Amino acid sequence: MKFTRLLSLFVSLSAGVWLLNAQGPGGFGAGGGKGKGKAGPPPAIDFSGWWTGNMQEDGAERGAGPDLVDYGGVPINEAARLWALSYDTSRLTSRFHQCDGYVAPYSVRAIGNTRVWEERDPRLQTLIAIHWYSQTFEGHRVFWMDGRPHPPVYAPHTFMGFSTGTFVGNALRVETTHLKQGWLRRNGLPESDQTTLTEFFTRRGEHITYTSVIKDPVFLSEPWIKTTDFYRQPTDPGAWLFPCEDSEQVTGRAPDQVPNYLFGTHPYAEEYAKKNNLTLLGALGGAETLYAEFEAKVTTATPAEARARMLPAPGPSQTSRAVDPDPHDGEIHVLPVRDGVYMLVGDGANIVVQVGDEGAFVVDTGAGQLTDKVLAAIQRLSPKPIQFIANTNFHPAYTGGNEKLKKAGSDPSVVGTFLSLSTPGAGSTASIIAHENVVGRMNGSMGTPATSPESWPIDTYLADRLRRFHNGDSVELFYVPNASTDGDSLVHFRRADVIVAGDVFNTTQYPFIDVANGGSVQGEIDALNAILARTVFQHSGEGGTYIVPGRGYLSDEHEVVEYRDMMAIIRDRVKAMIAGGASLQQVKTAKITADYDTRFGANSGAWTTEKFVEAVYTSLKTPASKKQ
Amino acid sequence: MMRPLVSIFLVLAMPIGAQPPGAGAPKPAAPNARLAAPFDPSGYWVAQITEDWHYRIKPAAKGDVGGIPVNAQGRRAAAAWDPEKDAAASDACKAYGVGGILRMPGRLHIAWEGDNALKMETDSGTQTRTLTFGQPGGQGGDWQGVSVASWDRQAPALSGFTLGNAGGSAPSLKIVTTKAKPGYLARNGVPYGANATFTEYYDVLQVPGGDALLVVTVEVTDPEYLTSSYWYSVHFKKQADAAGWNPRSCSAK
Repeated sequence: MKFTRLLSLFVSLSAGVWLLNAQGPGGFGAGGGKGKGKAGPPPAIDFSGWWTGNMQEDGAERGAGPDLVDYGGVPINEAARLWALSYDTSRLTSRFHQCDGYVAPYSVRAIGNTRVWEERDPRLQTLIAIHWYSQTFEGHRVFWMDGRPHPPVYAPHTFMGFSTGTFVGNALRVETTHLKQGWLRRNGLPESDQTTLTEFFTRRGEHITYTSVIKDPVFLSEPWIKTTDFYRQPTDPGAWLFPCEDSEQVTGRAPDQVPNYLFGTHPYAEEYAKKNNLTLLGALGGAETLYAEFEAKVTTATPAEARARMLPAPGPSQTSRAVDPDPHDGEIHVLPVRDGVYMLVGDGANIVVQVGDEGAFVVDTGAGQLTDKVLAAIQRLSPKPIQFIANTNFHPAYTGGNEKLKKAGSDPSVVGTFLSLSTPGAGSTASIIAHENVVGRMNGSMGTPATSPESWPIDTYLADRLRRFHNGDSVELFYVPNASTDGDSLVHFRRADVIVAGDVFNTTQYPFIDVANGGSVQGEIDALNAILARTVFQHSGEGGTYIVPGRGYLSDEHEVVEYRDMMAIIRDRVKAMIAGGASLQQVKTAKITADYDTRFGANSGAWTTEKFVEAVYTSLKTPASKKQ
Repeated sequence: MMRPLVSIFLVLAMPIGAQPPGAGAPKPAAPNARLAAPFDPSGYWVAQITEDWHYRIKPAAKGDVGGIPVNAQGRRAAAAWDPEKDAAASDACKAYGVGGILRMPGRLHIAWEGDNALKMETDSGTQTRTLTFGQPGGQGGDWQGVSVASWDRQAPALSGFTLGNAGGSAPSLKIVTTKAKPGYLARNGVPYGANATFTEYYDVLQVPGGDALLVVTVEVTDPEYLTSSYWYSVHFKKQADAAGWNPRSCSAK
């Protein structure tokens, strides 16, 4: 009996192995191949083990680092070139850049060890994910193999991004989205947060050939394709950590100083080209440098051709190539943030809701076009009525739903107080909180058209901050003067560690500096620094404190830092031109935002690049008086 | 009693690919590599120079060997590179041999030559390689040497109870080239010798919604000038036609 069962087992197993081995070639997936073999998904390839990048190609660039202004072979566009030429490596000494991780496309090619392991369902042994861990900056990538979808556009971005994988032919193909802004090359060549990445991993025994296809609509004019090799390490290299703690590297530097070069003034622009006997045109990169046709130009192009590329080209400004994070589907989308805090997307500016044992605490109320759906979404999160509404500013995209949401709520903390004795109906609606100037802008007393009295804040503060302990969290409103307006607040849920930024910060456009209502570029920069004064990153400059932007995707300090840097750099350029006697028209013609326009620029709509530049110029020429 | 059972199992579990040829199997049909091809590498392909750019877009400075693991003899030879001398000795094509041609800027044209050979032409240096499945003709001694092609399927690690898999399912096009005339691995005179072996793996990868890529991974072994294997990988983008095809002579400089 025992013998018969054993024999059956062996025959079954053997037959199974035979079937596996007898599979024909699966072809090469979607294209290229003729696929003569049996159809069906290709079997999994096991990449588990320790791997090290072969540094025989681009060794200097990937190891010690590239030369400055070595952009050859990268299909960058004008925006990327200008961005990189403005980059002063001293920027790395800024507290907020010291620990920046590498983005996934760069991380895979970086020097250091890599460990790969599989994550399998403990019961079914199906492949859930492949983990790719790089020593440098402890970059931990997860390739989800279980068919899960990518997150929505308004979800957070990370240095590693969100990756899904599938086996195609003899390769593992990985698709990555939701990357942070980072480097294409470690000399300032930028990679934008709009980048998507396709990778192929092909294993041959102890060797992996890695092919990456980087698509960046903001900074590349065509996909940047690279191949790299890995070889397997027979033993654990034993070096896996890369801790980082930021500190003061340059003392005395003001928080709004961001090292940068004005256009056309990079002091080392020609160093690499001269060292390698190349024309500067070649060193400045671009799609043409990838192809054989450039061989002739690499030694013959004139300095004038190169110089022309170191300044913005004349003509109309470029516009944003970023994906719009608003679904525009007439629905309200709810994104859980942390510890009872949620971000609601879909009705103008982002709305934040905090829920708990007490009534909901709502920050901003959207444009008021979908308020019924906003209310329904809040009621799904908490059965309790809305108790507090905070407004980060008075703009209609942030206060449009005030009246309806207020009426749908109640504030039991007012009922039974002296206020309720003197004010009939007090506590029967939610209480709206804001800086005093928000009321002034909404009730018409400060020169703006009045809105419905039911939409006005009733609980205001004049300076510094307003505090409230609610739903088990310490909630603070901080006043940031003369930023987008003269009444902006940041709202910080301290336990959840979520900061709501309002119009001070967004991921979709240049900041709306409403000069007519007290906004200014310096106040905007100071407000961004006020956010950064409260953030703590979790790891390698990312995670930790979440920032909800006025518009766009849920962020952390990295997005705020890049935005702050941009604002400080643009301010410096305009300041320098004003110091040289430039008129507003001359500043506009100089296209001083050319390196940011493919990410944030607009030539139509309510907030154009031209209006933004005008706001920067005007607020620098006539600094706003601080109204408190 | 258990021992014979284990033996039976092991025999049954042996991968088909590991069975010796013949052994009662029907006589195989005449080989036809073209029919067996899991993908078709033929067509026009344009090189994209995105790695080692300043070594590839033009010759780097004399003596700069980059990441090539040359030994002392190789380093000396690279330091003695003299392009004028090469040109005078009709050796202008030394960087266009099998060891360097795939890293040159330019285009490839690959076509089937019958059922068992591929012809690869380059516009850069107007080189021609014949990649023969089975027994190659020619004696070598020229820039491109003698190339043997095969469809290379990595043996999956599926034997016994192990269900892991060390290789892929679909084969690469594998080319092993020997007997090439000594030439340069890089345009600035980094040498390879007559006994160098070049093992190339060709894969075609389809980018979703994008290009078809020909990715070539190369291992160079050279007892004369290298301390260890030199690995590199290059890629080419598929072209719809011969656009940009620009035959030009070898240049020593």
